[in-house]
Amino acid sequence: MHGRPRKAYKPEEEAASAAKAAKLRGLQSQFMANHHNKIYTKEAVDLSTKLLEINPEAYTAWNYRKLAVEDKLSRIESDPDLVKTILDEELRVVESALKQNFKSYGAWHHRKWVLSKGHSSVGNELRLLDQFQKLDTRNFHAWNYRRFVVELTKRSEQDELEYTDDMIGSDFSNYSAWHNRSVLLSSLLARKADGFLPNKKIPDEYKLVQNAIFTDEDDQSGWFYHLWLLDQTVNVETPLLTSSWPSHGSRISLYAGCSNGSFSKLTTFGSESGSFPLVLYFDQAVGGVSSSTVTIDSELKGNEDLVWEPVSKKNSQVSCVWVARLKYISSEPCFGKEYKVKVRVGNSPGIVSSRGFNFSASYEFVFTAHVHDTVEESSQEGIVSWTDGFDIWDAESKDLNALATLDRSNAQMDSKWRQEAIAEEIDLFRELPDSKIGKLTLARLLMAKAMISDDAVKGVHYNEILELYKDLMALDSSHYQYYKDEHSVALLRKVTSSTEDLSGHLFRCRNMNNSVCLRLNNLSLSRIASVEKLLFVQMLDLSHNELHSTEGLEAMQLLSCLNLSRNRIRSFSALDSLRHLKQLRVLDVSHNHIGEHSVDTTRYLCSSPLSNSEWPQDEVGSQMPSLATKYWDAYFVLRDLNLKQLDITGNVIAGDEFSSFVLQVVPKLVWLDGKKLEI
Amino acid sequence: MEDLPSMTVSQRDQFLVLNDVFRIYSDFDASDIATQIFTVEIQRDKQLDYLMNGLRHLGPSFSSLDANRPWICYWILHSIALLGESVDDELENNTIDFLGRCQGSDGGYGGGPGQLAHLATSYAAVNTLVTLGGDKALSSINRCFLRRMKDPDGGFRVHDMGEMDVRACYLAISIASILNILDDELTQGLGDYILSCQTYEGGIGGEPGSEAHAGNTYCGLATMALITEVDRLNLDSLMNWIVHQQGVERGFQGRTNKLVDGCYTFWQAAPCVLLQRLYSAHDLVLQGSLHMSQPRDEDHEEHAHDEDDPESDDDDSDEDSNEGLLLTFSYHLQLNLVALFEDCRRVQPVFDSLNLQRYVILCSMVPEGGFRDKPGRPRDFYHTCYCLSGLSVAQHAWSKDKDTPPLNSDILGSYANHLEQVHLLHNVVMDRYNKAIEFFHRAV
Repeated sequence: MHGRPRKAYKPEEEAASAAKAAKLRGLQSQFMANHHNKIYTKEAVDLSTKLLEINPEAYTAWNYRKLAVEDKLSRIESDPDLVKTILDEELRVVESALKQNFKSYGAWHHRKWVLSKGHSSVGNELRLLDQFQKLDTRNFHAWNYRRFVVELTKRSEQDELEYTDDMIGSDFSNYSAWHNRSVLLSSLLARKADGFLPNKKIPDEYKLVQNAIFTDEDDQSGWFYHLWLLDQTVNVETPLLTSSWPSHGSRISLYAGCSNGSFSKLTTFGSESGSFPLVLYFDQAVGGVSSSTVTIDSELKGNEDLVWEPVSKKNSQVSCVWVARLKYISSEPCFGKEYKVKVRVGNSPGIVSSRGFNFSASYEFVFTAHVHDTVEESSQEGIVSWTDGFDIWDAESKDLNALATLDRSNAQMDSKWRQEAIAEEIDLFRELPDSKIGKLTLARLLMAKAMISDDAVKGVHYNEILELYKDLMALDSSHYQYYKDEHSVALLRKVTSSTEDLSGHLFRCRNMNNSVCLRLNNLSLSRIASVEKLLFVQMLDLSHNELHSTEGLEAMQLLSCLNLSRNRIRSFSALDSLRHLKQLRVLDVSHNHIGEHSVDTTRYLCSSPLSNSEWPQDEVGSQMPSLATKYWDAYFVLRDLNLKQLDITGNVIAGDEFSSFVLQVVPKLVWLDGKKLEI
Repeated sequence: MEDLPSMTVSQRDQFLVLNDVFRIYSDFDASDIATQIFTVEIQRDKQLDYLMNGLRHLGPSFSSLDANRPWICYWILHSIALLGESVDDELENNTIDFLGRCQGSDGGYGGGPGQLAHLATSYAAVNTLVTLGGDKALSSINRCFLRRMKDPDGGFRVHDMGEMDVRACYLAISIASILNILDDELTQGLGDYILSCQTYEGGIGGEPGSEAHAGNTYCGLATMALITEVDRLNLDSLMNWIVHQQGVERGFQGRTNKLVDGCYTFWQAAPCVLLQRLYSAHDLVLQGSLHMSQPRDEDHEEHAHDEDDPESDDDDSDEDSNEGLLLTFSYHLQLNLVALFEDCRRVQPVFDSLNLQRYVILCSMVPEGGFRDKPGRPRDFYHTCYCLSGLSVAQHAWSKDKDTPPLNSDILGSYANHLEQVHLLHNVVMDRYNKAIEFFHRAV
């Protein structure tokens, strides 16, 4: 798309260029006649050469030449010398066209086409590339072509790596060379080439890039390469199971119906459907979770062919979070008993990350389910309060460990070199105290370090990270929101990093079956993170934050009460992820910004979805079409929730009209804005 | 690596550009208010003169663009549309006729009459005709062609036997979605191909293995949005990459450690705004309508009544949702603390919008008309188009919906600088897009 004139013409040159243009027009029309009449004589082909040497972007002429070459090749009886002559001529034309404009897509592509016919030698091509890459070291056409040649001729990647050494040595600002280095190294490391073990090679690369960064800390190239190195240091390609609910060794208590059990240290769980969610949380999005890749061994009947569903926003078949519903009330009554449930993840191959890596370390966990026979009359018709009836968590008790264990990202076999590399980098970057990018890199390094260090020192790291992002917010206001989001992530990591930290935020709700309540209110959070450690939470208080969306909460399958009061939710669409929460009964979104603006859909891609085919048949839609049109975004979220209590006051959208709409969409609602509904 | 030279070529070039840019900024800051006001004003008359002249007569220096003539039409006519103007009937008819002659017998537009159909020039031609609007322009488009360009690997080739890259994918999908002919066959395997081009930096390269590049990042992101697979990209790292491409000059660069260039104002700012909206995108509409469902006639009749209905405020494009490209965006609330005290409803763009506008107007704008890459370079229509498009994106980065035009404070200079809003995924002016969409839904 950068096809623009390469230079401006001065008035005195205009006469000459006008003549040139006239000549080009003549060539052009003759060429078109030849092309349309399929004339491939020598004169005709030479004419296309002239045209391309003046205007290499005449892509029709490149295609014409391909046809001409095919035509000639079909006439000669595979005489190798003749073939060579024909193809050499093509290479020559490309070369002179590239000298006219070395950014011509068509010319480079034509050369690839010739090479794909098995012509030319590596030596030739590399010589040509050297010329162009010296003229413009960042020319991406040349770099792409270089990678093409290397792949086609099976030139060794080690040799290419040396070429990047040279390019970086002569100009360390050449990011294209750094980039190619990352591509080559990824490949060499992935296939464990001789001398390319990560624990040896990555530390060397840090030293190389340090030279560039510390020579001029304002030069971007080194920083981005550094970012790649950090990624290589921290990330493991094979997907891992990060956490699960129920977790290994835990005991859960199951009731029939929404009963009001006596105090228990167990997680108590009741549902009308007689099933409970089994949640798997992977460190990256995976596909292929099914009843054959994950097997369940338990006496709970009727769970032989579990249906696993990805918890993802779109109809995507990959997700970090997978859920299946285990039945505990089947046709045979099985009350008053304890059942051991053994889950084996990766029982047979098939779980694959979205980048194509297999889940290989199969993992087994066991939990105990206690099924109670108390089918008491539900008391949950009462209003749920976020202020009264909470007991402080007993920090001494061990039950938190049982709720949230399993932090398997530590369990890497060769983590020692990773830790050392990160520790060295941290020491180094502390010497660049005044640079923004230095601070940001330090924050990222510390985040990586905190992830793989012992609980005891994690908190110290997180405190430092939080300070760094605070500094950055003050120093670099144009990227404020980015730092703010990272700050929220670090804060949530800190809160969830140890049982001590977490227990300060945990409560038991007496009126709600002693449900586990987590309070993360008033933390100025703008983004949700660390959900994988919070799968056991049943009540979540996120009030008085700066959240604009509930994205991330969809993993918390046990969540039954959620307080989002006084955040920055702007529309019901921002609550969309809640539709995955089948247990959610209580939702407080009071004092947000819902309804201040109509949801913008008309301007981007599509309008309101009301003209969907499903809509006219829909009951609510047909009963009150005008309200449904007006509140369609609320409709699409609320109809999938099974709410009993909703608080919406303090939003522009709230009012009598909206209330009557809500009652239609959520017929089971008992409490609206703190008032009991007359049924 | 022991004896690194004190300054590399890139650093010297960068130093020189910075010098130019900062001198312009400091001259501006030192001048009196009246001069400042005059300097930041987009002189519409001058701009229109430059553009109209270009449309009527191109100098010989444009012969290298001989294979790109529909692009010249698009760059110029879209720029004119952004300035809120239209061309006269004669020019409009000439353009439609000319593009008609560029169109091949089995669809697709070439770079000029008789030339091979090419995706890039087809995109330019379609966007030009959409910009011109009207039945004559829109009905002149032959809607076959795209399928032939589809490669079994999932991507698209720019022409028969041509190269395959992310750019080609975007061109094809943008055309298909405007013309309402996007279907499963075209999107098959496409998402996988685009994914393979996202680099560790976060941006998207032209082909697998290439380094991230602004133009391809825009193309890749817009394609994924149009085929509703945008969630498959690593959006966090994409956001991270883009926001760090706005440098101290306040303009955007196109690749890591390259020089600033006015045209990236569009290629980088548009993905920024898209990403902000995507962060709270959801799949409401996807259920039940993931695949193309064609609008039924009844819908349109019902729809006609809606226009009198004051309750229905987004009636003008209800049809859109019948299309395959159903993604609903809502706005991401990205308020910073300062904005909170001013006005709670305003969304802070993730890039520095006002200073971006400052770069474009002070450093890229040529007072006699036209825009350029950077100080010291000549103006051209390509840069004029993408500087103006980017300026429009920056001006509208805050505003929420069609009824909320940008505030005075969103626009650098007086409100006279206000440009028409563009559709972020196609880069045509929004109301022209809406009219075209309506037309092509009727055309089914």
